[in-house]
Amino acid sequence: MAAPAVQLDRITKRFAGHVAVDSLSLQVPSGSIFGLLGPNGAGKSTSIRMLMHIHIPDEGTVRLFGEDGKTGREQSSRIGYLPEERGLYPKMRVLDVLIFLAEMKGVDRRKARTLALQWLERLGLADWKMRKVNELSKGMQQKVQVISTLLHEPDLLVLDEPFSGLDPVNAQVLKDTVLDLRNKGKTILLSTHIMEQAEQLCDGVCIIARGKKLVDGPLAEVKRTHGGKHVHVTFDGASGDAERLFSDPRLVKKKESTGQYAELELAQGADAQDILKGLVTSGARLAKFELAEPSLNKIFVDLVGPEAATPHAVPEGAR
Amino acid sequence: MNKILAIIRREFMERVRRPVFWVMALLGPLLLGGLIGYQVLLAKGGKVKSIAVVDGTSNGLGQRLVDMFAKGETFRAVSVPMSSKVVDSLRNEVSQQRLDGFVVLPVTLAQDGKAEYEASNVSSLNATEALEGNLGRLVVLARLEASGVDPHLVDAAQIRVQLETKKIVGGEARSESSGQSFFLAYMMALLLFITILTYGVNVMSSVLEEKTNRVVEVLVSSVTPFQLLLGKVIGVGGVSFFQFFIWGVTGRFLLRQRAALMARAGTTAASSGFQLPHVSIDALVIFLSFFVGGFLLYSALFAAVGSMSSNEQEARQTQQPVVYLLMISYLSILGLTNDPNSTLSVVLSLFPFTSPIAMPVRWSAGNLSALDAGISLAILVATILGVTWVAARIYRVGILMTGKRPSPKELLKWIRTA
Repeated sequence: MAAPAVQLDRITKRFAGHVAVDSLSLQVPSGSIFGLLGPNGAGKSTSIRMLMHIHIPDEGTVRLFGEDGKTGREQSSRIGYLPEERGLYPKMRVLDVLIFLAEMKGVDRRKARTLALQWLERLGLADWKMRKVNELSKGMQQKVQVISTLLHEPDLLVLDEPFSGLDPVNAQVLKDTVLDLRNKGKTILLSTHIMEQAEQLCDGVCIIARGKKLVDGPLAEVKRTHGGKHVHVTFDGASGDAERLFSDPRLVKKKESTGQYAELELAQGADAQDILKGLVTSGARLAKFELAEPSLNKIFVDLVGPEAATPHAVPEGAR
Repeated sequence: MNKILAIIRREFMERVRRPVFWVMALLGPLLLGGLIGYQVLLAKGGKVKSIAVVDGTSNGLGQRLVDMFAKGETFRAVSVPMSSKVVDSLRNEVSQQRLDGFVVLPVTLAQDGKAEYEASNVSSLNATEALEGNLGRLVVLARLEASGVDPHLVDAAQIRVQLETKKIVGGEARSESSGQSFFLAYMMALLLFITILTYGVNVMSSVLEEKTNRVVEVLVSSVTPFQLLLGKVIGVGGVSFFQFFIWGVTGRFLLRQRAALMARAGTTAASSGFQLPHVSIDALVIFLSFFVGGFLLYSALFAAVGSMSSNEQEARQTQQPVVYLLMISYLSILGLTNDPNSTLSVVLSLFPFTSPIAMPVRWSAGNLSALDAGISLAILVATILGVTWVAARIYRVGILMTGKRPSPKELLKWIRTA
């Protein structure tokens, strides 16, 4: 098996009195899409900047592509980086910006030009290639920036909040592009606080809060170990003895019910079949009885705690 | 290496492509020429003044003064006889702006040499000089004649002294007026000051631009901050050389066409009394080496300023100390040209923050050895290395910082830990 594309080993970064990232370790398997999840200020961007060698970790090591002692900058030709705060040279021509940024990644000038023209064509910006960046709409600028991240055909893509500020159409274009690249064997590390997107895209995730890792691993495994077992019940009129059954702590750990509908998280060791049996014998009429996976959003909120669910902590995701 | 080249090319092309560069490149010499012409015009004192000469003397000295003025270009005068009311009515004429002023020649002029000049403007050095000179000659004439000397003899004895100045360069005397020497030194200082300031500020705004639009994050993940800074300084510096090149070419062209241009303007090179100075190869070499040194030194400082500011406004405040440092040498130009060997001049041409302007000025104004220039240049180079080292450290930390401007204490920490 190929070496992990990214290996962070207990990296720590402190800024003027506070610890931004605290002994974070994680592995991003080669050829996968990996989500770095956390509320705002959790240390996602700082971790990514350490990975890119923009910030140097105070402690710990970063290994990329299994190569020892080579920094992100030294391997920058294999990495595409989309920073959280977007920006291009506003007064440069679109084509010139793309060529210049590709040259920064070590691409030959002529090859950069050909690739840039192909990408502009593909994303419908061919007519704009000789325009100045500041004449483009925000959405078009975002596309140009995405092209600049991909142009040099990197093996590893590092996308910091790639969906923020994108309209649904462009977000879909980006999602398709990311999936397409993964299918070509590239590795994608993206940070986000929008759980729905992470859930749709990611093969593996790492949830961090306040600089510390809470959980990481393949998405399915995280769901299995941290989500618990969930049951969704919809009644068809009579609910029988459901209330008493759902209040039994040996069976149900948490419940949310609205009369005709209930979401249950089962207690440790409980069997969903016991609940089904209990409901049927107590005379309840069921429209639906479903064994459900918890959403990533629920795991996230449970793990991070209530402060992350408040609007100021997750402004984008709350929308 | 290719990456540095790409940075240099971007900095160069993006600047040269802008219309404002060409406006400066083509209009620059005209503006500079206009600036100097304007100063010459001011020194000349402007238009011909029409005045009256109130003659209180008994032997018609007034009319003779009027004749003397007629030969010069400063005054046009009429002589009026002295009477009790004439001064009042002339004062009235002056306040009505029908007359620029009047000279009163008292009967005792030839005895004590005292006269009065009343005018709407008495601050023109040129006018005062012309008056004093002519009156002086007039009084000498009158006194000699009064002692019985033949007026023709007096006329014949008078001769206008013309001082020819020669500059000793490497043991050889070379004909050059002090005006020419001054002009060259002044031009050099002005060019150096304007160019170092303009392109230093260019480096600063380039740093600031990448910082505010956050491109810098992508850049420093691919190149080292030092490579980025180096490419930027060389790129911007290249633009300034290109600008000098254009100025040189247009300057040569204008010089070739000078005679034709002057003829069109109604003067000849001879009558304007103004010759362009000779620019020797060594002066050019000194000029360019100190320009490069000055530019490197100040652009490193400006880059540090740009990196520690988060917007244009903040940068404008932070750059003040750097600009003042550069201003010192600009303000010293007059002192440097008047006495290139004074202690002050020597200190200014050795102190690395003033030497980029002071040394070329001293070189063109005085007679210095290559050793003098060498020592000054060595100090400058050593300072560039030190300052760049410090500035690069500030730059490295500063470009990624946002928010509040660092305090001096924080700056020291950046320099130590970067």
